[in-house]
Amino acid sequence: MKDGYTVSVSGAVEGDLDEAVLRRLVEEKGAILDRLYGKQGKQHIEKRLGGYNQAAHRFPWVVFRDLDHDADCAPSLKARCLPNPARYMCFRIAVRTIESWLLADRESIAGFLRVAVSRVPSFPETLDDPKYAMVELARHSRLRDIREGVVPRPGSGRKVGTLYTSQLIEFAQTKWEPETAAQRSDSLRRCRERIHEPVKSQIDKSSS
Amino acid sequence: MGKSASKSLRFTKISLQSWRNFKKVDVALQHRVFLVGPNASGKSNFLDAFRFLRDIVSIGGGFQEAVRKRGGVSKLRCLAARRYSNIVIHVHIDDGSIPAWEYELEFNQNTQRQPYIIKERVVKEGKNILDRPNAEDKNDQKRLSQTYLEQVYTNQDFRDLVDLFTSVHYLHIVPQLIREPDRSIGKSNDPFGGDFLEQIARTPEKTQNSRLRRIISALQVAVPQLENLELKRDNRGTPHLRGKYKHWRPQGAWQMEEEFSDGTLRLMGLLWAILDGKGPLLLEEPELSLHPEVVRHIPQMFARVQRRSGRQVLFSTHSTDLLYDEGIGLDEVLLLRPGEQKGTGTSIHTASEIEQIEELLEGGSSLAEVVIPETRPKEAQQLTLWGK
Repeated sequence: MKDGYTVSVSGAVEGDLDEAVLRRLVEEKGAILDRLYGKQGKQHIEKRLGGYNQAAHRFPWVVFRDLDHDADCAPSLKARCLPNPARYMCFRIAVRTIESWLLADRESIAGFLRVAVSRVPSFPETLDDPKYAMVELARHSRLRDIREGVVPRPGSGRKVGTLYTSQLIEFAQTKWEPETAAQRSDSLRRCRERIHEPVKSQIDKSSS
Repeated sequence: MGKSASKSLRFTKISLQSWRNFKKVDVALQHRVFLVGPNASGKSNFLDAFRFLRDIVSIGGGFQEAVRKRGGVSKLRCLAARRYSNIVIHVHIDDGSIPAWEYELEFNQNTQRQPYIIKERVVKEGKNILDRPNAEDKNDQKRLSQTYLEQVYTNQDFRDLVDLFTSVHYLHIVPQLIREPDRSIGKSNDPFGGDFLEQIARTPEKTQNSRLRRIISALQVAVPQLENLELKRDNRGTPHLRGKYKHWRPQGAWQMEEEFSDGTLRLMGLLWAILDGKGPLLLEEPELSLHPEVVRHIPQMFARVQRRSGRQVLFSTHSTDLLYDEGIGLDEVLLLRPGEQKGTGTSIHTASEIEQIEELLEGGSSLAEVVIPETRPKEAQQLTLWGK
């Protein structure tokens, strides 16, 4: 990277936790997340993906989306949502939700949630519902704050507890190690490799 | 009295009859309550029922004064409730496990427009311990101008209840007042937050520091660059709040309260208010002057400072941005819907009562999106018609 030159990346994500993860991954490459769009669910992103892709002909973009159960595998969802990605577009899909990337750093998440490492699933990408797995893990926490904050109260009608988002944002910001996590999550490993591409090409562009 | 029991007591249910916008409502209340509805649907009027109970037991207050302050019985009465003109406030209070208390007050006015009590009832653990009018009231009708709550010699059997009503705190902070402390000189416990900085300054240093640390940890959800907050007095002794941000300068950058935005300052005031006290807290529109991006973090920020305190907080809000948070219980959201026809009054439903809510959330919609059509003012469409 040239001295004093920082690559700015634009991004779009489904929610607040995805934002924290995206920031870590972009900053890991020495770039900064300059503009962030979305945070209103996957339908919101899907509708605007054409526009983001248009902008990515000239500027670096990273867009995250959860696979959920919308397709059998990430490549088929990608082909459906964005068949012709632009030059600087990095469209990545988390299998099946972003939580699996966080669970993939087993030691750190076990330490943060205060549970035994052996309780953390070994293959997070095979989980049917990683968010549910995260909540179940927190249910076994030795810390009352984690149990009461992350696990939903009976009768709340929600899948997560009051403090789920901010606790996991804190984890993603401070304790999560993407490099370690990538060893257990193929979708994260690819994401880390590909995020580098628009950043690198942008640096090349500036120095040419 | 004053034992730990009153610490965790909270309102678990309120029934109102002929109270302002409400002809008849019956609502369960969680630890945290979000009141959502269009303008003039009665969010503040709903909160006012709790303030009314507080006014009855407060020093210099009392039943007569609480009614007078609100313009008399005819101002309080719901216009929609012609047949049932008696006003009823009935609350249930628990400590989270056993039903601890019930208080019911029914009143109206006489031909001289003097408010009088028709019924007053206190239930403790399922047993009636006060049931008025009693024999003494029948002998002396004048007694019905006062509640048993407001007098120390009649309320000794239910002091915990009185303590809970006394501890109700209402807050609608105005940021301009924080900036210009001169405007609020001499005021204490100003519900509009005028003495906010002075309140912080008066708090013992140890408590002050620990609360500011919790506020930082809460604010970091929305402002990760914030590193520190501290209170300093200037030469004249006026307290000022300043915050330190991570910055390109090695020492970071300090910002005085004049440089904070209105919204940030107000938010700090609200977070402080949650930490300061134990009774039910009524907060009006925490989203005012804040960027929507910050508003969506409000539930997380408040939950972080509220953690472990068990304090009940009732928010009124116009902002559906607040409801993007996945951790908000469907039973924590109360939707206020003004009556479709004349004479029906505002109704209240929890978000869990919305038809199809499970399917919509499962399909990826947020609670905010689901709730928007429920809270849109009916006139909004008509406004566009007028433009044509």
